[in-house]
Amino acid sequence: MIEVRQSGTRLTIQDAGRPGHRHEGIPRGGAADKLSFALANFMVGNPWDTPALECVLGGQHFRFQKDMTVAIAGAEMWAQVNGQNVENCTSFKVKSGDILTFSFARTGCRAYLAIPGGFSGDEFLGSVSTYLPAGLGGFDGRALQSKDILEIKDVNPSPNIIPTGYKPFHSNHIVLRALEGPEFYELSLSSQRHLFIDPYRATQYTNRMGARLKGNLVVPEITRHMISSPLLPGTLQCPPDGQPILAMTDGHCTGGYLRALQVIRADLWLMGQIKPGTKISFKRSIGTDSFDVLARRNAFYGNLIEGFSF
Amino acid sequence: MPASYEILPYGDSAYLIKFDVAGYSEAVTEHIHGLIAVLGKQRNWEELVPGYNSLLAYFCPTTFPPQKAIGELRKALRTSRMPSIRRGKIIDIPVCYGGEYGPDMDNIMQSSGLTKSVVIKRHSRPVYKVCMMGFIPGFTFLSEAPKTLHHPRRESPRNIVPAGSVGIAGWQTGIYGLESPGGWQIIGRTPVKLFDGERETPFLLKAGDRVRFKPIKAGDFHD
Repeated sequence: MIEVRQSGTRLTIQDAGRPGHRHEGIPRGGAADKLSFALANFMVGNPWDTPALECVLGGQHFRFQKDMTVAIAGAEMWAQVNGQNVENCTSFKVKSGDILTFSFARTGCRAYLAIPGGFSGDEFLGSVSTYLPAGLGGFDGRALQSKDILEIKDVNPSPNIIPTGYKPFHSNHIVLRALEGPEFYELSLSSQRHLFIDPYRATQYTNRMGARLKGNLVVPEITRHMISSPLLPGTLQCPPDGQPILAMTDGHCTGGYLRALQVIRADLWLMGQIKPGTKISFKRSIGTDSFDVLARRNAFYGNLIEGFSF
Repeated sequence: MPASYEILPYGDSAYLIKFDVAGYSEAVTEHIHGLIAVLGKQRNWEELVPGYNSLLAYFCPTTFPPQKAIGELRKALRTSRMPSIRRGKIIDIPVCYGGEYGPDMDNIMQSSGLTKSVVIKRHSRPVYKVCMMGFIPGFTFLSEAPKTLHHPRRESPRNIVPAGSVGIAGWQTGIYGLESPGGWQIIGRTPVKLFDGERETPFLLKAGDRVRFKPIKAGDFHD
């Protein structure tokens, strides 16, 4: 068993999510940084989509009640076991009684903790991902708290090492490649340009649903009122106040503001590392670039992690 | 005569079919649900999301090339027939209008020039159709609100709108199934739970059902 001694800013159980229910208002959800989550599982020999813990911004402490192998990946949080530093994006052995601590997130926002066989949670529509707005999945549908006890499975680990070139680089300035959204050309010409020039900054209203950004105003040429229309993770919406909102993993399934940009599929995982204060630059993706990037990335990581794709 | 449409790319993994209609069209919402029934049988779509006048089809471009995807959409648009309009059950939803439950009631009174009791009477008179679910679990998008009550969304969305809030956005009216950020003008709230993951049927309503609002007093509002 593993005892949660401190749950930090936020701690939830996540897997690869529940696709196919956006028409019912249920987002896919799952690990916000899909790549780091998959790498954590890979390092302990799990299938990439096995439930793991998503640790937000740091402050989490765990105490292990059994000898086991664990892996961490994602945001750099100065992890330590019994006060000794452990390297990020590695797997390591812990003994019964050992304490693993995450300090604050120096770069990035979310770290993943994977154990052999994964964590158990409540299943809803084929996934144990915690979806807090509806209290679904995870540990009784809620975020983990101190004193929670997590069951572990009796699985022999077969740890894997990540070759150097495969470790993602995290930064507090995130560049997201994006295509024009369905209403991009309704924006004023200066707004169209501003989106790609100066970086935006994520405000305190940043979570798994979305990030409200601050920066150059983005306004339409002619104001009109949209009716509710479908929305995806990675859509940059522009409400009339001109401050854009980036929809994230647990984001709304429909929305009524202009959809200015859509982040390319190969970069969606990076959004999981956005925290309040993160600088975000949008880089215009041209023509079929996004398909080439996606095909290359899927081939690269799919070659390492069986069954994984972005 | 079916409405004309265009198919727009939406990022690199989705297409958006947009129907050319001004305002609410029951025929178009029915057509969209007919298309979802057809496309839903194909396994290549990761998500099919209806809007009032649009449909989003989400797929993985490495396993399902975009040219093929758009071809399937064109075929479905050619072959799908307009389904007959389903008359679902009528469900009464109690709503406490105004006050702390409807903080934007004043905005609607101001723009319509109506008193609170007339706004309530007008909003609770029609039998609305559930056009789609979406946004968040249990959010219910209804057919058109009476013309005098139309009002644009808030300039800046609220960070928290309580579960059960009844709102207006343009000509749309609807109910927030859960607490959520949101930009609709909130005129009331229902104590009824539209979504409960622990209920045998988590969703109280589904597309095609009909809804009638029953005004209640604040004293009768019990969670």
